Order: sequence, then C-alpha cells, then structure tokens
Amino acid sequence: MLSHNSHLSDQELLLAADGELPAARTGQVASHLAECWTCRVRKGEIEASIGDFVRAYRGDLDSMLPSPAGPRALLKAQLAEMTAERAAVPPDWRTQWLQGSNPRYAGAALFLAVLALLVYLRPTFESPRTFHVVPVSFPEPSLTPGVAAGVNRDQICHSMPPKNRIVPASLQRRVFEEYGISGAEPRAYEVDYLITPALGGADDIRNLWPQSYSSAVWNARVKDALEDRLHDLVCDGRLDLATAQRDISSDWIAAYKKYFETDQPLQ
Amino acid sequence: MFKDKTIPDLAAASVSATGEAKPTPLEEEVVALFDQMQDKLLRYLLSTGVPVQDGEEIVQEVFLALFQHLQLGKSRRNLRAWVFQVAHNLSVKRYVATLRDRKHMVEPGAVPDEDAFVDRAPNPEDQLARNQSHARLQSVFRALPEQDRRCLSLRAEGLTYREIGQILDMSLGAVALSLGRSLARFARAEER
Repeated sequence: MLSHNSHLSDQELLLAADGELPAARTGQVASHLAECWTCRVRKGEIEASIGDFVRAYRGDLDSMLPSPAGPRALLKAQLAEMTAERAAVPPDWRTQWLQGSNPRYAGAALFLAVLALLVYLRPTFESPRTFHVVPVSFPEPSLTPGVAAGVNRDQICHSMPPKNRIVPASLQRRVFEEYGISGAEPRAYEVDYLITPALGGADDIRNLWPQSYSSAVWNARVKDALEDRLHDLVCDGRLDLATAQRDISSDWIAAYKKYFETDQPLQ
Repeated sequence: MFKDKTIPDLAAASVSATGEAKPTPLEEEVVALFDQMQDKLLRYLLSTGVPVQDGEEIVQEVFLALFQHLQLGKSRRNLRAWVFQVAHNLSVKRYVATLRDRKHMVEPGAVPDEDAFVDRAPNPEDQLARNQSHARLQSVFRALPEQDRRCLSLRAEGLTYREIGQILDMSLGAVALSLGRSLARFARAEER
C-alpha cells in the first residue's frame, strides 16, 4: 500500500524491517528512510505491530510450555537405544556399497547384487518367509506395571469417556522393542493400554503393551468387555476406582474372571 | 501372573534399552539441537492448536527422525528449517488422521482452525487482568486464515522468509504478502 507515490510501500517497509530486501534495493530503501520522516514513522508503526503480536504470542504460549527435562531425558534414552540397536545390527551391505567411495568396486557390487537377487528369488521348497509372532495375552509386569493419570471418579464418570488415543509410531516401536518382538510383524499386535484411559490410565510407556491378535481366547475384545464392565461398576458406585485400576493392571484375566464370575470369556 | 508364552530375550532387550553407555557425539549433537529448539517447535505447534501432549510427542518424533537423518549421513543444510518442516508435516498428518478417524478424535479444541492462539486462562481473574489490546490481538489472530497464522508463528520463532516458504510450501512473495496482510490487520485493530 503506497501512501504517496514517492513513499515506500508497507510491503517494502516490512521487508526492510525483516532484512529481506534484495541486496540491490537495500541501500536505496535505507537512503529513503534517512530522508523521509513519513516512511520512518510508518516503519516504526509496523515494528510496533510486530511487537504487539510477539508479546501476545509469547505471553500466551510460554506459560503453556511444560518443563523440557522429562522429554529431554526420554529423548536421550531413545537415542541411546537406537545407537545400541544400530551397533547390534550388522552393517547393511547396500549402505556399505552406496557409501563406498571407490568406483572400481561398482561392477563387483552390481554383480553381487544380481547374484543376491537370483539367490533370493530361486525356486525353493522352503515355506515363504514368515514373521515370528509371539502371542502375548498378558503384559510383562516389569515393563508394563500400569500407570494411572491421577484423575478421579467424577472426571471419569461425568465426562465423555476418552477413547484410546493413537499411540505414536515411535512409541509403538519402543513397546515392541521392550518386549523383544521387534522382528515380529507389527500388524499382528495392537499396542494397548493396560489401564484404559476410560479408567484413568495414562499415556505412558509403562501403561502400554503389545497385545497379539493371535491370542484366541484372552484377546483384545475380551479385555475391552472388562474395561466397560469396570467403568460401569465404578460409575455406579459399586467399585472404587483405585481397586479397578489395581485389578486390571495386576492381572486383567483374573479380574475378568472375578467381575464376570466366569472362568472363560463370555461370548 | 501368567503369560501365554515366555518372551525370549526380554531381559537382554531391557538391559540394552536401559544401558548407561556414554552418549555418542551424534547423540550429544541431537540433544544440543533439542535444547536449542524444542521450545520454539513446541510453541509453534501450540500456536496452531496442537494440544500440549501431542506437541511433545511430535517434538520427540522430530528429533528421533533428525537422529536417523544424520545417522544416514544425509544433508546437514539448514537443519533448523528441516526440523520445523518435519514438525509441521507431522502435525498436519496427525490432524488429518484425527479427522479421518473420529473414534480416535483428540479432545475438543485440538483442531487447529478452531483453537489456535486461544485464550486458555482458566480463571476469570486472569482474563480480567489481560488488557483490551491483548484480547483484540487474540481475536485478530484467531480470525486469520490458517496459513497466515502459521506464517506469523514461524516468523515469530525467528525463521526467515525463505525457511517459512520451504516449510509451508509457499513462494517468498506469498510469505511476504501473508505477513504484510496479517500485520496490517493487527495495525487496524490497534488503529495505527
């Protein structure tokens, strides 16, 4: 917007304030600003708007920032884990060759690659490659003791029951790794909350475990039924929340048997 | 306690996960970058309406991705823009996922369009303490198109126009126009 033909536009004044003018124009604009009070005042007004915005932006958001100490420690642990994993895995020949700096080996690399492909694709009587799926119906207590988020009965019962959140891929991977099933087919498992958020369970790796779909009897659907049952009992006042959390986290199958009064899952 | 089957190598996996090995130079570098940038990244994500917990998860994912990026010997050119771009992409992806899968919908208010820069002060006294100018700026910010809000927030975090353009997939001119347009609205609100 030009206030006068001889004046700088607001756009140029902003670019000047941000140091984003093309080099050739920078000197001209600086000269004009030195001469022109109108443009200098306008530039000051733009700077003032920036100042207003930054104060409001920082004022609102800085107060919401949690302490970085926890996330920092988590990051360090995850990086150490990734480094250890990488050290434990033999170097990938593809990476080795791709990163190899000697072009004389390119032909040999190509030959080996073709050979490897032929070996891989050779007719075979072996069964096709399968992933090793470990049936997990029960969380390992040392890894998944269950963690509650510190909410009370009213919060659980008088608000919409929270749905299980999407567990981030990186966290899912850590859960698989903790359970020693990183080589398994991840789609064979659901990373599940031990204490469901509907009973106050926390988004914490100590509250997550890989429940395999291959568990025919005590599977995720059975546990879902238990979670609904406990939620109803707590909200009806027939069971206190702490007991529900403790029972489901210590032995969910025993809890199912107890609260449904059965030895086998009900259909 | 019982299980269907004892899980092999559990102890070994646990030990390796909690080992006290000295951090490698690359780990230290990534943690140093985290120290420099995590508050900027998180603030940017919050300004777009991402809830705090989701923001923290995205920041973790960003720095794990950065570590893998550097481990693979990929480009170190302008890591600041790279980090913001990954955070931006993850937040958009997560937002799209929440829309697609309503059963996993996060708490109301997580949708960027409705919640950006919203006044989250919990008690009325705090709200009273805020001056009128602040409230006007908030309402102006909320009324801006999403892309303009993102531009402003990224600029407020110190990114150059070129970096903002790269992150939001906009031309330099479009970034300049967006910022100019937004600041003009703030100026009008303050009758400048």
